[in-house]
Amino acid sequence: MENIVNDFTINIATANGTGSQSANLILLQSLFDMGVPVSGKNLFPSNISGLPTWYIIRLSEHGYQAPGNRTDIQVLVNPATWEEDLAALEPGTVVVWNENSKLEMNRDDVVSYPIPMTKIARGINSKLSKLITNIVYVGALAEILGIKQSALESAVKTQFKGKDSAIELNTNAIQLGREYFKENLSKNDPYVAEEREIKVKQFFIEGNEAVALGSLFGGAQMLSWYPITPSSSLAEGIIAWIPKIRTNDEGESTCAVIQAEDELAAAGMVLGAGWAGGRGMTATSGPGISLMQEFIGLAYFAEIPSVFWDVCRVGPSTGLPTRTQQSDITLLYEGSHGDTQHIVLFPGTVEECFEFGWRAFDITERFQTPVFGMSDLDLGMNRWACSGFKYPDVDMDRGKVIREKDIFEAFEEFGRYLDVDGDGIPYRTLPGSGMAPILYRGTGHNPMGVYSEKPHDYLQLMKRLREKIDSSRDVLPAPILREEKECEIGIIYLGSMENTIQEIDDLLEATGLKVSQCRLRALPAHSEIEKFIERHKTTIVLEINRDGQLYGILRKEIPIDLVPKLRSVAYSDGMPPRGKIYADLILEILQEAEK
Amino acid sequence: MTEKRERRERTVKLNVINEPKDSYSGGKSSLCPGCGHDQISSVIISAAWENGVEPHKIAKMSGIGCSSKTPAYYLGQSHGFNTVHGRMPSVTTGAYAVNKDLLYIGVSGDGDSASIGIGQLIHAIRRNMDMVYIVENNGVYGLTKGQYSATADIGSKKKKGAVNKTQPIDLCALAINLGCTFVARSFSGSKKQLKALLKAAMSHKGFALIDVISPCVTFNNNDESMKSYGYVKDNEVTLHMTDYIPHFNPIAEVEVPEGHFKDITLHDGSTIRLETISEEHDPTNAMQALEALHDAETNAKHVTGLLYFDNTKASLVEDLGLVDLPLIDVDDKELRPSKEMLDKINSAFLN
Repeated sequence: MENIVNDFTINIATANGTGSQSANLILLQSLFDMGVPVSGKNLFPSNISGLPTWYIIRLSEHGYQAPGNRTDIQVLVNPATWEEDLAALEPGTVVVWNENSKLEMNRDDVVSYPIPMTKIARGINSKLSKLITNIVYVGALAEILGIKQSALESAVKTQFKGKDSAIELNTNAIQLGREYFKENLSKNDPYVAEEREIKVKQFFIEGNEAVALGSLFGGAQMLSWYPITPSSSLAEGIIAWIPKIRTNDEGESTCAVIQAEDELAAAGMVLGAGWAGGRGMTATSGPGISLMQEFIGLAYFAEIPSVFWDVCRVGPSTGLPTRTQQSDITLLYEGSHGDTQHIVLFPGTVEECFEFGWRAFDITERFQTPVFGMSDLDLGMNRWACSGFKYPDVDMDRGKVIREKDIFEAFEEFGRYLDVDGDGIPYRTLPGSGMAPILYRGTGHNPMGVYSEKPHDYLQLMKRLREKIDSSRDVLPAPILREEKECEIGIIYLGSMENTIQEIDDLLEATGLKVSQCRLRALPAHSEIEKFIERHKTTIVLEINRDGQLYGILRKEIPIDLVPKLRSVAYSDGMPPRGKIYADLILEILQEAEK
Repeated sequence: MTEKRERRERTVKLNVINEPKDSYSGGKSSLCPGCGHDQISSVIISAAWENGVEPHKIAKMSGIGCSSKTPAYYLGQSHGFNTVHGRMPSVTTGAYAVNKDLLYIGVSGDGDSASIGIGQLIHAIRRNMDMVYIVENNGVYGLTKGQYSATADIGSKKKKGAVNKTQPIDLCALAINLGCTFVARSFSGSKKQLKALLKAAMSHKGFALIDVISPCVTFNNNDESMKSYGYVKDNEVTLHMTDYIPHFNPIAEVEVPEGHFKDITLHDGSTIRLETISEEHDPTNAMQALEALHDAETNAKHVTGLLYFDNTKASLVEDLGLVDLPLIDVDDKELRPSKEMLDKINSAFLN
């Protein structure tokens, strides 16, 4: 049997609330520390204890981060999904299963490794046996795949920082799992994890924590939030980091945190902070953005700097709260009633989560309009490799705020909404400054900020607002292009699809199709996007939703003669994107286009 | 300066920070003539002037409705924000978090506060958000032409339409139950009492709710309405005569009322003096306050005055644990941690 090295997918079926998350992260971290290119996806339920959870670990020398197309190694611990999981396996799959679960192993076409996980766990500590059961399979897998004991031990230490008894207990369980396999079973499969030289040192981090850090380096002064999956860890990340990086020796901080009563209030607080001259932000998910719509319109119309992070989950309604989707592109871009248009940033990597975290504040204050960061559960809550965050290369841009009296007095005429520079961006003074006080309002207003329902005032205001947002296009993060020479087919994609695009590209290339890639990083779309579409015979807009939301936006905004070149490939079943599904859909749509 | 002008200027009365009352006035009201809200606006102007607050250090906040339009009619030198319906408390909270040095005066109505915005009102009280919150309460939606609000009394009848059969929400009783630290009720026609309450509320550190019965002259002012001028004038029970003594005035200069009185020291050192008509009422006793409200409701009357007061609770700013300087005045360089800090974080992650 020829070995299959660092190129397979492990699926671990457990119940949540049983400590399986720690076990899986230890496994992931030890592979990572051995230099194996690896990624992990946590498929968890909207529940605290007892419902099915799967953890998918993919080892890939190509660096593919999406779950593989098939499961190569299945770990069965959860009786609730036992039969279903077992039935779904392809012949030849390795099955590591809990012999004490009283459920049958009814497949004889798989490689079966029965392990008495519960019995071993009970032998260590009968009270904690449920938790230890999970760590036992880590030991068995380590023996099967050849994971180094030193890597495991250091991962255990990282996972249970400082808790000596937990470290000892888990190390012991791993050892017993390993020994059981060694003594009672023999390896009968090709899968091997092999150590690789680490060329660039990297660490694992979740997108949400990266946004949290980025925001604090962006000078966030107020976070208001309401708990919602999958964004809570972003807000909690900020809360955890404030004492370390934004607090003085007296324990006083420069960033206020308020847990709001709901998302409406959270949005209101962001606007209040922006109105008063501070950098306010919130973090939420689709249902929260739905609730914030009224305030979003106010921020747009009254021109209040405000930052909103949307870590998307599957909609509509409560949807699949613990699954991933690029669900809110349209909602963010065109949020609130009436004619609106908003700036939206789409990070595709954890490095960009950090960067857009601080940049969002500069952009919102520059353009005096709400700025959205759109991440999703996959990027936000899974761990991604990162080589380190880059320090902001520019000073904070506080926009056109007049803080000094002499600068204010140099103005011949001052109006809050007067377009002095002809760029659509007016100047503002702050409450408490005594300079040009006005009553901000969501009602129609003239350039002086005074209530008006006059047609001319309304038309001028709406025209200026459109031009203002339009002028942000080429200032926002430009698209990342990976272009093949004289390629006919282009793919425009965004956000967390970055982690699957290379696999899709390779799968297409295997069929003889070469494509160019263009990752859109912000809306309104950069002028390069239009040129990219122009250069290619057909451009596919690839996204993780049903309706092709980005496709809809681009189709509306590009010149009409380019529209026939555009095709939509949109798919979402709640699972993290898998390369083969999208590659097949792309091939299908191209065949249709040929007809 | 001509002698004539000088003489004229000398006759303009100035407050303790040498500002004329004009510095606190606003634009012309567009409300219905005789609206109770306009009386309240004029009291806000007087109270701010007499308290000697710098006009630009005030932020006037409101939601949506007749009442929420009024910030345009007072304190023209203050920034303001006419926000969205019922959500003024959250906007004020966010502004306060980054600039705690402003005096936040919120004006709301009974639709804004008791219906659509009741959740935000409750949570602002819960946080003891440092602001004055005035409810201009007329039991009716004025701007949409006369629908009942959630404070309309049972048995009350509008000019047009059926008798209200739904239980009203008493915002003062609600606030007391929530632990609000300053709860008062007044009447737009009782300018002296309202001014004293408002001046005290401005000095209070924490959430100060003043529910002001402010009759709607257009939609809710027939005699069957329990929030009409005629009804309230005949049925108002004054619980206390309140008289506010600003801290920059020596106490001796104020005429001390006869009979029993009680001094309450506010956070900023100023004093509020309550002349006790109902001798047994202790404004620090929530049960007594609730009883007074309940009695008034049972007898279809309004009890006015300072109902409840508690200066022992920490206000929101103490919970936030921020630096002394208002956050908007903190230097950019302090807001962004250093490059060394990020290097440290990166290397800690890597090892």
